[in-house]
Amino acid sequence: MPTVRIPTALKYYVDNHSEMDIPASSVTELLAALATRYPSLKFHLLDSDGNLRRHFTVFVNGEHIRDLNGLDIALGPDDKIILLASAAGG
Amino acid sequence: MELTHEEILRYSRHLLIPEVGLRGQEKLKASSALIIGTGGLGSPVALYLAAAGVGRIGLVDYDVVDASNLQRQVIHSTSAVGQLKVESAKRRLLDLNPLIQVDAYNEPFTSSNAIKIAKDYDVLIDCTDNFPTRYLTNDLCVFLGKPNVYGSIYRFDGQASVFFAKEGPCYRCLFPEPPPPGLVPSCAEGGVLGVLSATIGSVQATEALKILLGIGSPLVGKLLLYNALDMSFDFVTLKKNPKCRVCGPNADVTELIDYEDFCGVPSHDHDKGSAGADWDISALDLHSRLDSTPNLLLLDVREPHELVISALRGATNIPLGQLAARLSELDSAREMVVFCKSGTRSTRALELLASAGFKKVENLKGGINAWARDVDASLPIY
Repeated sequence: MPTVRIPTALKYYVDNHSEMDIPASSVTELLAALATRYPSLKFHLLDSDGNLRRHFTVFVNGEHIRDLNGLDIALGPDDKIILLASAAGG
Repeated sequence: MELTHEEILRYSRHLLIPEVGLRGQEKLKASSALIIGTGGLGSPVALYLAAAGVGRIGLVDYDVVDASNLQRQVIHSTSAVGQLKVESAKRRLLDLNPLIQVDAYNEPFTSSNAIKIAKDYDVLIDCTDNFPTRYLTNDLCVFLGKPNVYGSIYRFDGQASVFFAKEGPCYRCLFPEPPPPGLVPSCAEGGVLGVLSATIGSVQATEALKILLGIGSPLVGKLLLYNALDMSFDFVTLKKNPKCRVCGPNADVTELIDYEDFCGVPSHDHDKGSAGADWDISALDLHSRLDSTPNLLLLDVREPHELVISALRGATNIPLGQLAARLSELDSAREMVVFCKSGTRSTRALELLASAGFKKVENLKGGINAWARDVDASLPIY
């Protein structure tokens, strides 16, 4: 199943995992599955309309989802998803 | 710009690399780099660019050196605590390499001075610690047609890229909008592995040198994602966003804007520690109140690993990230004082509590660090 990399900023809400396999056939499904599995993550990941919060972006196999089919892109079992959070630290 | 014999000896190891050589070193001598922020990232970037012989280095920062900076900001020394960062850094750079010019700008980098400061530099290096200055640096580079060597860090995660709108995407192509205020913790709140600054800062210094020398393939259109715990380096592809408001074909942001207003946060990562005069209680007042109000609830919204550093006796701990889900554990009829390390997270907790109908809530101004400073010196400040 697809593997998703979790940003450090969110590890706290997913039992400290940095990477995990999530059964999902699209990125939208994957995000929803994450929020369901880890309820305390939901507020940090999704806004009140259920959309991915604006300071996150998603890459599938190294490509930005904007250049693919957006959040509805179909996922296969070997796909690597990176959930990227903006960070201002310096 | 010819090298002196002294410079030829100093830069000998560069001159021996065919891709740099004498001509390349002369290019570096004639080149300039503006480093925005002289903190964690700015420290290694400035040190390596100075050592490499970049002829003119500009440093922008308005802050002073704090003891808590020294874990990662290696350009500053213990003896410099309390001094201006740009002066401390300039002194160190000229000690390392007196053959270069260092210009110190002891002022906040804002829309009103950014063009004047940056216009004569060849490359800008984003080493800031806050979103408003990152968006400002990006937009400025797009408008001036200069490369923006980007790096950011948080805990164990680092990012680096070269945003150069002439040839590839800009920062806004990656993150069109800043995060909602308060949702992304700063290093001052969440911490950062000190040496992460060196890993990402050295990538930024490398990219800046490549750009100034005109060699290699800069990180344009690519984003490096580094994780120190896994020692993983991932590269992802980034293309221009056709809808980018700054560098896209239909850009509607054509001049610098008010970036603090755009991001909804101030352009620094300092803990303000105040929720506003109507909501704040000082450490000294809280000390008195505890005697007169035995039923007062102290709500500590820090993370569990912070409790072993310092704690207030009898306080209830609910980390900010769990508060929304655990409101039912709290009695809204009871008077409550919320605190964290220095007042930033507790301010957010207070907003959350107030929106949930809690009326008898106050914020410990300056957090437990203020308590340690003003009431109980046996506690450490962190």
